[in-house]
Amino acid sequence: MGTSGDHSLSGREGARLALTEALVATGDEDRMAFQRVYRMTSAKLFGICIRICGDAQAAEDVLHEVYLTIWKRAGSFQPGRASPISWLATIARNRAIDWRRANGARATSSLDLADDIPDGSPAADEALIAGEADRRLHLCLDSLEAEQRSAIRTAFFNGVTYRELAEQSAVPLGTMKSWVRRGLARLKRCLDDD
Amino acid sequence: MTDPDPDMAAAELALGVLEGEDRADALRRVLADPAFAREVDRWRDHFAVLFDHWPDAAAPPRVERRVMTGIAPDRVAGRFWPAVAITASAMAAVLTGVLILRPSPAMSPPFAAAGSAITLVASLAPTRGGAAIPAIYDAGRQEIQIGAAALAEPGRAEELWIIPADGVPRSLGLLSASSRTTVQLTPAHRALIDAKVKLALSSEPAGGSPTGRPTGAILASGQFIPI
Repeated sequence: MGTSGDHSLSGREGARLALTEALVATGDEDRMAFQRVYRMTSAKLFGICIRICGDAQAAEDVLHEVYLTIWKRAGSFQPGRASPISWLATIARNRAIDWRRANGARATSSLDLADDIPDGSPAADEALIAGEADRRLHLCLDSLEAEQRSAIRTAFFNGVTYRELAEQSAVPLGTMKSWVRRGLARLKRCLDDD
Repeated sequence: MTDPDPDMAAAELALGVLEGEDRADALRRVLADPAFAREVDRWRDHFAVLFDHWPDAAAPPRVERRVMTGIAPDRVAGRFWPAVAITASAMAAVLTGVLILRPSPAMSPPFAAAGSAITLVASLAPTRGGAAIPAIYDAGRQEIQIGAAALAEPGRAEELWIIPADGVPRSLGLLSASSRTTVQLTPAHRALIDAKVKLALSSEPAGGSPTGRPTGAILASGQFIPI
């Protein structure tokens, strides 16, 4: 069901299916499908770019490159293996991090902890990512010490290195590494725990 | 060495907190150890659910126009070398970094030998899709290592080329079909290597290109980026 052009699909599965179909068609160099991919995902990917780059013009340039990459690489997207939005978002996040590393960190004032991003359940209208894995990760994140959780979330959402994390939190680098590593180890135990 | 912290390098790489030599070490492990690479994949999947919480931001409409005009035309160009006309966007493929640097099962254990200093990595995207082929430049040992590609048809060889800023491909020799290939660079080739150099694999007759230039189809291409 759901032709690739059907924007009326609602709900998690429908959105995911429509995006998957558009992305697969993009792999066959279907420009219209690629445009649908763009329209379905550009707000998410621009949100990623602008947060990590911290600069609107840079975020635009990075977003442009991200979609050119998506156009070229869509043929290697494996629908069975990856969620389409995760695949796209990972490209955007990594490209934005690359820009950030190449251009130096942003001004300290914008280096906030990721505490402004709610860590509860996903909003009902954010329907592109499946639910079970989401619940599990959040449960496991919730089981961490506050500073471990905050450091890991900040690393993810701000795209920062250990060094920047340590500076932001005003703790020694070794302390920050220890927090994150122990938090990740605990997260792994929790996620692996069936 | 009394570091009591658990080894979480796979998670750290997926999260993106590593830099410098730590990141290079983790990338080496991705290349050398399939189990480690799978672990990085798993972590990336775990973290990916957080994307759902990422605040959206509407991109200015001009970006869509730029993107849509930026695609396609060069695909039908009659030039021989279009697939290697890589823009900076190809860097994103590498950037996807961990995403793409998959070890080939045939890769043998690592090469963390003395004097090793990996400074550039590339991810060669196969022209026809499929898993990318990782390549690294080790400035310390003055060599390029590239994973097995196995993209050539039976009876054909895979030849590795570097394409520096002048756009002229230089052969680095033939690839092994079944395992990682290490290319020891001559001083002349070394002088051409920088962070912008492109890499390509072409399909050639057994024994390699008879002309010193690529003669067959481009099987994969990519670009070095610094790590």
